[in-house]
Amino acid sequence: MTDTSRRWIRIAFAGPGAVLIALVVMAGMALWLPGGAAGIDNLVLPLILAPLLWAGLFFHACLDRSLGRVATVALGLLLVHSALIAHKFLDKSPASTEAHR
Amino acid sequence: MIHLPREETKAMVAVHGWSGILLGLLLYAVVLTGTAAVFAEEIGAWSAGHLATQSAFERPMAETLRRLGDETPAQYREAVDLFETGDHDLGLFFHRHEMDGGELISRGLFYVIGQDGRVTHRQQGTNEDVYGARNDNALSAFLVDTHVRLHVPNPWGLLLTGILGLSMLVAAISGLLIHRHLFKDIFTLRRSGSAVLANRDAHSVAGTWSLPFAFILAFTGSFFSFFGTVGMPVVAMAAFGGNVQALTEAVYGNPGKPDPRPAAIGNMDRINADAIARAGAIPTFVTIENFGRADAKVTTYHPPKAAAIAPMSLLYDGATAAFLQEKPLIGPKPSAGGTLAAIMSPLHFGNFAGLLSKAIWFGLGFAMCYVTYTGIRLWLVRREGGVRSFAWLERTNMVVGLGLPFALAASAAAFLLAMPLGSATWWTPAGFLVGAALAVGAGAIAPDAARLSAWLRNATAVLLLALPPVRLLTGGPSWGRAFAAGQPIIVTLDIAFLLAGGWMLWSLRDRAHAHRPSIALQPAE
Repeated sequence: MTDTSRRWIRIAFAGPGAVLIALVVMAGMALWLPGGAAGIDNLVLPLILAPLLWAGLFFHACLDRSLGRVATVALGLLLVHSALIAHKFLDKSPASTEAHR
Repeated sequence: MIHLPREETKAMVAVHGWSGILLGLLLYAVVLTGTAAVFAEEIGAWSAGHLATQSAFERPMAETLRRLGDETPAQYREAVDLFETGDHDLGLFFHRHEMDGGELISRGLFYVIGQDGRVTHRQQGTNEDVYGARNDNALSAFLVDTHVRLHVPNPWGLLLTGILGLSMLVAAISGLLIHRHLFKDIFTLRRSGSAVLANRDAHSVAGTWSLPFAFILAFTGSFFSFFGTVGMPVVAMAAFGGNVQALTEAVYGNPGKPDPRPAAIGNMDRINADAIARAGAIPTFVTIENFGRADAKVTTYHPPKAAAIAPMSLLYDGATAAFLQEKPLIGPKPSAGGTLAAIMSPLHFGNFAGLLSKAIWFGLGFAMCYVTYTGIRLWLVRREGGVRSFAWLERTNMVVGLGLPFALAASAAAFLLAMPLGSATWWTPAGFLVGAALAVGAGAIAPDAARLSAWLRNATAVLLLALPPVRLLTGGPSWGRAFAAGQPIIVTLDIAFLLAGGWMLWSLRDRAHAHRPSIALQPAE
């Protein structure tokens, strides 16, 4: 892989990739985070952490010398959270909805 | 200390520079108006000459609330918002919640109750109409609206300021990472070197001191911008199949068994008195859920108690007016997520310790403006003499950096002249546009950067000095009346404008004598 294509892949992960993955992780977090004492932590914490999630993905894509590691972390997060969301939508049981207490 | 390898440091310097250059001018506009908006409440009282000091929540309102509740159509009695409007008048917004193009809105009837208990205004509309600009708050509303969404219609305005917040977050984090000597840089101000070096040091010192503040502002600001536009729909999609109203009720609602039996609202005067005694402060906002039903709930919101950051709220049974519990701002019980969400607002607005915290936030906000403005100038100086000319950007930076304060002062003057005529909601933005057009015109005809800077500074200084006399000449309260009414903030802001204008004129005179060269004309560091 040439240096130019490596640079563009890095830019793709830092730019549109970071935005897309932060959105998917934010949605997926609502499904695995504990609800806490008030039963709302899983709903509120993803909203609060969204800017930091994006910043984490952006700076990781900029600073990690291993492009493979950048891709593994980003695509791993994307896959796990996409799978969680897909499972939620395919699961017809009403018991698996709403807040986690 | 963070020591990045050479290549990564180079990448971070590029990220730091480009994050400022691409969106720096818009970011400057958002930060400057946000800095002024820290004192939006005080600017509102100063500009409109508000002299009343007794809160609407300290006056009897129970009978009026019951009577207006009976008069209001049942479809708008789902909830009621109670808040102070104008000169401590009482605003009552009977409404229902509904979805409008994917956005959760409130629609209903809005009443304003004057200090004598009579209805002075009645209006049907949505939350956008009720909480929008009025003739007497047009100036502070203009400042807040510019800061929140740059007057771009929602959701695009909020998305734009959210992206600006993220760019500020990137600038703050990359700024921290490229500092090789963080603690040394905090105290390094070389006055004896070249103008470029002195300005680089000033940028670095102001940036380093305000780094934690920049991080907090960028983080909380992007949170607020993206909260309703992106965050709520995305989380609602995952957890509630896209039902934003269900998510809002889960997070903000008061859980309990529904009891739709009709029941008159309890004594609101008793609730207000009890809430003020328990919180030690006047409510900033009061909500009533399920008005006119047996399961009605009243929530009063108050500023943080001494030595606390999170605001507090109290819950009452709406039908009996009995106190139920002190509850967190978000969620029915204290929790990590609720507490974090509750402190986002005081951390962003700096209103958790009265005027002291507001003054600190104002000062640090001003430092952020300075950092943004000088950062762009330093980026340009480093490219001086390069293949591509950035003279147009240097001039644009000056027009925005110095023209924006001038345009804001022009909007304040326009407000003061138009408010007695009842046309301030139109003339305040118009005054800003006239000021902005004059600044752009000056940028187009000025022979050089030094002359342009002097023109804009002089004009801003003159306008700032003119604001207090214009306020008095257009019928604003005198210093004696303001003191007698217990509103020293009017006098304080008059003095602040006079000092700011005087200081600007004095510094220009000083500069003319010293003949200091512009940093843009110096060779790059």
